Amino acid sequence: MKKMSLLLLLLYAGVFSSFAQQFKVEGKVLNEQSKPLPNANVFIKGTIDGASTDSLGNFSFTTNKQVEMTLCVRMLGYAEFNTQISDKKSTALVLNMKPDNITLDNVVVSAGNFRVKGNSQFGKMSAVDIVTTAGSTGDLYHSLRTLPGAQMVGESGKLFIRGGDSNESQTYIDEMHVLSPYTATGDNMPVRGRYSPFMFEGINFSTGASSSEYAQGLSSVLALNTKDVSPIIKIGVNASSVGFSGGGTRAFEKGSVSLNLDYQNVKPYYSIVPNKYDWVKPYQLFSGSGQIRFNPNQTTVFKTFVGYDKTSFIQHIASSTNQPTRNLAFNDENFYLNSTFQKTTESGYKIFAGGAFSLKNQHVDDALIATDSYRNKEWEIHLKTKVSKRFADFLRLNVGLENFFRHNDIVYSYASTVHTDSINHSISALFASAIFNINSNLYAELSDRVEYTSINNMWRSNPRLSLTYNMKNGVHFSGVVGQYTQLPENKYLLTKNDLRTENCMQYVGGIYYETKNKVYRAETYYKKYNDLVLEQSSSLTSDGYGYSKGLDLFFNDRALFKGFEYMLAYSFNLAKRKYLDYTELSTPQYATIHNATVSIKYNIPALKSILGVTNRFASGRPYHDPSKSGIMNSTTGFYNSVDLSLTYLVSQKVIIYTSATNLLGRQNTYNYNFTNDTTNPDRYMKTPVTDSSKRFFYIGIFITLSGKTAYDVSNF
Amino acid sequence: MLSIVVSAQDFAPVVHNVNKAQEVSDYIQVRSQLERFQLAQPQLSLATYYLTYVDIQLSLVTPDADKKTKYLAEAETYLNKLSELKDIDKSEVFTLKGLRLYALMASDPQVNGPKYSGEIISVYATALAINPNNPRAIILAALFKDDMAKYLHKTYESFPKDIEKASVLFAAQDSTMLTPTWGKSWVDFALSKK
Repeated sequence: MKKMSLLLLLLYAGVFSSFAQQFKVEGKVLNEQSKPLPNANVFIKGTIDGASTDSLGNFSFTTNKQVEMTLCVRMLGYAEFNTQISDKKSTALVLNMKPDNITLDNVVVSAGNFRVKGNSQFGKMSAVDIVTTAGSTGDLYHSLRTLPGAQMVGESGKLFIRGGDSNESQTYIDEMHVLSPYTATGDNMPVRGRYSPFMFEGINFSTGASSSEYAQGLSSVLALNTKDVSPIIKIGVNASSVGFSGGGTRAFEKGSVSLNLDYQNVKPYYSIVPNKYDWVKPYQLFSGSGQIRFNPNQTTVFKTFVGYDKTSFIQHIASSTNQPTRNLAFNDENFYLNSTFQKTTESGYKIFAGGAFSLKNQHVDDALIATDSYRNKEWEIHLKTKVSKRFADFLRLNVGLENFFRHNDIVYSYASTVHTDSINHSISALFASAIFNINSNLYAELSDRVEYTSINNMWRSNPRLSLTYNMKNGVHFSGVVGQYTQLPENKYLLTKNDLRTENCMQYVGGIYYETKNKVYRAETYYKKYNDLVLEQSSSLTSDGYGYSKGLDLFFNDRALFKGFEYMLAYSFNLAKRKYLDYTELSTPQYATIHNATVSIKYNIPALKSILGVTNRFASGRPYHDPSKSGIMNSTTGFYNSVDLSLTYLVSQKVIIYTSATNLLGRQNTYNYNFTNDTTNPDRYMKTPVTDSSKRFFYIGIFITLSGKTAYDVSNF
Repeated sequence: MLSIVVSAQDFAPVVHNVNKAQEVSDYIQVRSQLERFQLAQPQLSLATYYLTYVDIQLSLVTPDADKKTKYLAEAETYLNKLSELKDIDKSEVFTLKGLRLYALMASDPQVNGPKYSGEIISVYATALAINPNNPRAIILAALFKDDMAKYLHKTYESFPKDIEKASVLFAAQDSTMLTPTWGKSWVDFALSKK
C-alpha cells in the first residue's frame, strides 16, 4: 500500500511537474524575400509538438521543456531550417527560409547525359515513347539517333556519336558490359539492337564525358537497367511484317521468371517490297531472352539475364571488275549472360557485384572471294564490384573494381592457305568517385579510373571532374573535363599486340533548362584524340590523332500545343582524324557537319491513336574519290528522310503499331564504291552506297494474353 | 512501450483528419501533422504511408502546377521508402503507386495517357494479386478500367460488381484501426458516374 501511494505520488508529481514545464513557442516564418510563408511546418525536432504557419506566416504552440531543443521548420520547395531554442528564448522568433537544394541522390550530371526514365524531370520518356517515335522502327538504337550528338550513318545502323567511330560506343545491361549489342548483318545492311526496349526500366545515354565507372568507350555509353521483379503473370504475342514473337513472365512469392522468343525472316516482306539484295536464302534471325529476378528481402536483389540469337542468310553477290560472282553464306551465333547482386545495408552501404559472359561465333563462306572461308570467335568475361555510400548530406563516395578477360580467334582460309590469329588479354581497373556540395547550389564530382591493359602492358589513369551549378527556376549549368581510354579494335590487336591504348581528352559544358513539360539543352564540346591506330607503310602504329568539336541543341516540349509533343535536335560537328589509312588529317567518312531531327507526336483520343512524324536531315558525307587528289575529297548529297508512325489501340489487350521510313522515297547516298574501269585505267566506276530499298514499312500487332495487364506490350 | 501507446493515441486523430480532409488547406494541415510524426517516429511506417497518400491527394487538388510536380516527386520518394519497410502492407503500397501514376496521368491525360495507362493497370493488378479484398485497389482499378473502356468506346461490364464489392468491404472496415481506411469517397464518386 505504501509502495502504491508512493508510486501515485510520484506519478502526480510528474504530471504537475510536466504541466509546470510547458511553455509557448511562437513567432513568424519568412521566405527568402522576407515575406510571410504560410503553411510552413514548425515543430520541436524529435517530438510531434508543433503547428503550421497561418496566412501571415505566424505560428504558436506549446511544448514541454527539454534539456536541448531544436526548432525545425519544413516547407515544400525550401531547405529545412533548424535553430536552438530554450524556454527563455521561444517567443517573437523570426525564421528565414531559403529555397531547396536538390539532394545528392537526385544530382544527375547533365553534361553529355540523357536519362530516359529515371528520377530526373527529363526522365519521363519510356519504352513506349521510344517505339512511338516515327523512324525508330521499334529499335532502341535507331530511336537514339534522333537525339543530338548522334550522326546519321544509315547504312550501318550503329551509334556514331559526336564525330566518334561506332566502336567507341559501349552498351551495358545492369552495369555489366555487352560485347556485341547489335544484330549481325551483311555489308551495308543496317544493324538493329539485340534487345527490345521493353525489357528495360531505365535507359541512360551518355553522348560523352561519361562516368569513370564505364570502361573502354571514347564516345558514348548506353547504360540499360532491366525491370525489377514482376509480381504478376504476363503473357503476350506479337506478329509483324518481318516475324513474330511471344513470351511471358511468371511471378512467384519473392521473384519472377521471364522468357521471350523471337523469329524474324525477311522473305515475305521482300517478296512484296522491292530491294537491292539478291537473296539465295533470306535473312533469318532466331532469338531468345530470359531473366530471373529474386528479392529475398526488401533490400536485396538478384538478377540473371540471358540472351541468345542465331542469324543466317545467303546473299548472291554479282560479279564485278575485280571479282567473280559468289554466294556469301553468313552464320552468326551470339550468347550473353549476366548475373548481378545488389544490397543496401542498414548502415546505408549500397553493394553491387556482377559477372557477365559474352560469346560471338561467326562463320562466313565466300566472305571476300568465292570459296574462301572466315571464322571469327570472340568471348569476354566481365567481373565487377562496387560500393557506394552517402556519408553526409553533402558527400557521397563510390568505389569499384572490375576485370575484363577477352579472347579472339580468327581463321581465314582460301585455297590451300590458312591464316590464323589469336589474342588473349585482360583489362583490370579500379574506379572511385566523390560527389559533394561546394555550396547550396554548386555540386562537384571528382573521380578517377586507373586501368591496366595486359596486351600492351600499359597503365593509364583517367581523372574526371564535373561541376553542376543550379540556378532557380529549373536552369542549371554543367561542365565535365575528363580523360578516356580504349584499346584498339581486335582486328588491329591481332596484327600488332603492342599498339598503345587510344585516348581522348574531353571537355563538355552546357546550359540546361528543365520543367515538368519542357527540356531545353545547349551543349558544346571539344574532344582531342591521340594514339589512334594509323597504317603507315603497311604497318600499324599508334601515331594517329584527331579532334572533334561542336554544338548540340535539344528542345522537347509537351505543353506548347495541347495534345502535341515535339522534339527538336540539332548537332553541329567539325571532326578530323589522321588514322587508319588516312594519309592526312581529314573528316571521317561517317561524320557530317549538320544533323537535325524534328519529331512530333500527336495523341488523337477520338481515334484511339498516336500519330508520329519525324523529319531527319544531315548534310553530305565526305568520301574519297580516287580520281581526285587528296583524301575525303568529295561530298555526297544531303540526307533527308520523312518518317511516319501510327499506334492504334484496338482494345485493352491489342495494340497495332505501324511505321513507314523515308516515306517520300528520297534516294539517300551514304558513300561511293569505286572500281577500275577496264576500258580506261585512268577512270573509275562509281557505285553509290544506298539503302536496300527506298522505303521501309513495318506493321506489328501486339496482343496481351494474360488476364491482369493491358496496354502493356512488354512480356518482361 | 509507453511511447508507442502515446503515439497510437496521438496518431488516431491524425488518421481521422486524413480521412475527412477535402480542401487543400485540410490536406496541408494534416500533412504537417504527419510529417512531425514521421520524423519523430521513423519506425511508424503508417506515417510514411499516409504522407504518401496526402501528397498524392494534394497533387490532385492543388491548382498550382509547380506544387503538383513537387508533391508527386515527394510522393515517389516516400513510396521508395515504403518499399524498403518490412511491416507495411504491400497491397496498400501498390495501390498508392497506382494512385500516384493516375495523378501523373491526370496532369496531362492526352500526353500521359499512353505513357502510364499500361503501368497503372499493371500496378493495380499487383495490389489485387497480393490482397484481392483490398477495397481501395478494387475501386481505383474499377474506376480506371471504366475510364479506359469509355476511351475505347466500350463498357466495363464488371464496374457495378466492383463498386458493390468495394462498398461491402469499406462497410466492414474497422474505422478505429490505424491501418488504411481511406477510399470511401471514391466509391461515392463511382456511384455518381453510374
